[in-house]
Amino acid sequence: MTGFRLPANSRIVKGITHAAPRGTRELRTVRIYRFNPDAGVNPRLDSFELDARSCGPMVLDVLIQIKAAIDSSLTFRRSCREGICGSCAMNINGVNRLACTTATRDLAAEIRIYPLPALPVVKDLVADLTNFYAQYASVKPWLQTRTPVPADRERLQSKEEQERIDRPAACILCACCSTACPSYWWNSERFLGPAALLAAYRWIIDSRDEATGERLDELEDPFRLYRCHTIMNCTDVCPKDLNPARAIAEIKKMLLERQS
Amino acid sequence: MSLRSPLGRVLGAGSAKRGVHHWWMQRLTSVALVPLSIWFVVSLLSLPSFDHATVVAWMAGSWTALLLILLVLTCAWHSQLGVRVVVEDYVQGAGARTVTLVSLMFAHTLIAAAGVFAVLKVAFGAAP
Repeated sequence: MTGFRLPANSRIVKGITHAAPRGTRELRTVRIYRFNPDAGVNPRLDSFELDARSCGPMVLDVLIQIKAAIDSSLTFRRSCREGICGSCAMNINGVNRLACTTATRDLAAEIRIYPLPALPVVKDLVADLTNFYAQYASVKPWLQTRTPVPADRERLQSKEEQERIDRPAACILCACCSTACPSYWWNSERFLGPAALLAAYRWIIDSRDEATGERLDELEDPFRLYRCHTIMNCTDVCPKDLNPARAIAEIKKMLLERQS
Repeated sequence: MSLRSPLGRVLGAGSAKRGVHHWWMQRLTSVALVPLSIWFVVSLLSLPSFDHATVVAWMAGSWTALLLILLVLTCAWHSQLGVRVVVEDYVQGAGARTVTLVSLMFAHTLIAAAGVFAVLKVAFGAAP
């Protein structure tokens, strides 16, 4: 059966508390999941108490402040700090989101930060996305054509055709959606997950692509596509306001329509 | 330990190239169950009394028997489709999964057959 409890060596134990510095005026407590694969011990939840006035406005600023001033071993991914690279996706107060676009003032006084759920943890807040990226690669996220490239111009598409793929193509592959999906938690080795399916949809509806049929063939599978039970967590959490649930529904519709 | 590439693992044995039918039948049976269930509840509640003779007389009516058979079959079919998905979601390991799915298939067939048989027996007036 599916395990509903964490394995014994993954259960979280109480961690260290770093007390607030003297003269703190606006106390903010941040509890952060810590795991070091080399230590051979269970993950723990550390508490960092800091003065909210000493950090920038976003959760990422708080993490950078902690790493700089309190514990330099705190490990997390970040790059663009403006919501376009998708590196700092993590579970903040129970919701998968980007640390760089989440303002601390929108959260409860106590912030709890965990890595993205249901993935192997590399260290602290860094989750292993190998399978996630492989699933993205498996939908062949590139243009496939048989018609040779026109000699004198690009492959043209109309304005409306571009608008159709405009939103789905804005996915930054942060993995917030897939790791928020219970179906993905139970069957991530066979269910492609909302992010990969949104990418597949983006190429299925691309007017220049000529492999639509093959793409649909590859998705028609009880696990790859139909493990989606319209739970809609994906659309709920997407930091780019995209709608993977709708993309999946559209794929199901296209599969049905080509049969009748 | 496996040294198979992550992409190789994801591609696995390939697409089963099926799933549309299951998905569509689940939707169709649920649509069919809406009027059937409403009819069942309403016509049962509008009986003058729930004693054995009244209910048996109601069941023996041609339309009632026909609709009851449809209700039993659609229910069993819909349930089979739904429970199958639950098992696929949560039961891991090919062996356990296959055994559970096959047993459930048999159980649903038995329930459907028993239900139809019961309705026919009453409808064709055998001593209850």
